[in-house]
Amino acid sequence: MSIFDYNGGGIVAMKGKNCIAIGADRRLGQQMKTVSTNFKKIFRMQDNILLGLGGLATDIETFSAEMEYKLNLYNLRENRKLKPTAFVSLVSSTLYEHRWGPYFVSPIVVGLQDGTPVISTYDSIGCTTDTENFAVAGTAGELLYGLCETYYREDIPAEELVEIIGQILLAGCDRDALAGWGGVVYLLTTDNLHIRELKTKQT
Amino acid sequence: MQVENALEGINQAGSSIGILTDEGITFACERDVSSSLLELSKHSEKIFCLDRHVHCVVSGLAADANLLIEVSRVHSQRFRYSYRENIPIQELVRHVCDIKQRYTQVGGQRPFGAAFLFGGWDKTFKFQLYSSDPSGNFAGWKAIAIGKNHVAANSFLKENYQEGMTMTQGLDLAVKALCKTIDTTNPSPDKLEIMYMTKNEAGELVAKTLNEKEVLELLQRNNFQVKQKE
Repeated sequence: MSIFDYNGGGIVAMKGKNCIAIGADRRLGQQMKTVSTNFKKIFRMQDNILLGLGGLATDIETFSAEMEYKLNLYNLRENRKLKPTAFVSLVSSTLYEHRWGPYFVSPIVVGLQDGTPVISTYDSIGCTTDTENFAVAGTAGELLYGLCETYYREDIPAEELVEIIGQILLAGCDRDALAGWGGVVYLLTTDNLHIRELKTKQT
Repeated sequence: MQVENALEGINQAGSSIGILTDEGITFACERDVSSSLLELSKHSEKIFCLDRHVHCVVSGLAADANLLIEVSRVHSQRFRYSYRENIPIQELVRHVCDIKQRYTQVGGQRPFGAAFLFGGWDKTFKFQLYSSDPSGNFAGWKAIAIGKNHVAANSFLKENYQEGMTMTQGLDLAVKALCKTIDTTNPSPDKLEIMYMTKNEAGELVAKTLNEKEVLELLQRNNFQVKQKE
């Protein structure tokens, strides 16, 4: 069994019209056993940057803490906020720092740079993919891809994007035994961040 | 002997005042700026943020201070990484001071020519104000002045400090003490830098630096004849 499948999870992110949404399930498992139903997999790094992480839960926690560490020091030294594109690079270089003892995570960075949506996804050692439409991660990843392809179109308005991501997450994680047990969707627009919690089938 | 020289160096530098009130902490300092040719940087040259809950004011050699500020920022972030919490102010101050002390006893290197005022809030001791000097000695204060004419400023603070002051009263006291060190009755706002840390209605810690207009208002409220910029 792969180390990436030990805790389980499903993360999906999609671009919209001057907005971006990222959703994740809430399950924390130990193989077949469910241990928690409110495990956090999406982290707000900055007003306009969100980091979603799939993979090994302990590395999700530690890696997000390491990114927060680096981001805080950047803010203090540079006296300014980090641009999303710069954060994308920072995640990649941090992952590669641990090339020979990697974090077992599948990160998705989501951000708004001057109103333009940015999504990037990586493998566990920092290979960056700047996607044009959507990204998935976690044990439910492959299942989420199919739904993303079906529902994605260009310039989805914000209110619709939340709905779409919610439906994709629910349907995709339902099929995966290791993902589900609740969901949360973060919608990032130029004005604010809207967080919506989803009720799912509790199985 | 080197420590004494370093301490002397601090006393020649532009002064800094720190006041602790029930509502928060205020810092007032005189800029060391001398030339109009100097390109002013966007951020302060004397007041630095060390983490979201603690700030410091520098007196003395800027280069020495910058190094220690970097050290304390990293130390604070390491603490946050390990404990997912704000670092207690005293621990941060002690860390910086331990480094300063090492350079007075080990290695034959000169001491850091930098003195600091640290101010911040933590859940154990609430608002706190500390000073540290090149020897690595530190102490907690209700009100303190370092730098030029600190003796006069400190005796002024001793006479005029009261328990239970509001932030406004703290700002008034700070600016009066600062003007005592500059030894002028008509200070110019661009030479002064004043900031305060307090909790807003939501209970969140906020740090604010007064802009030039607000410094002007503060000076005028305290009956200083303000020298306008030429």
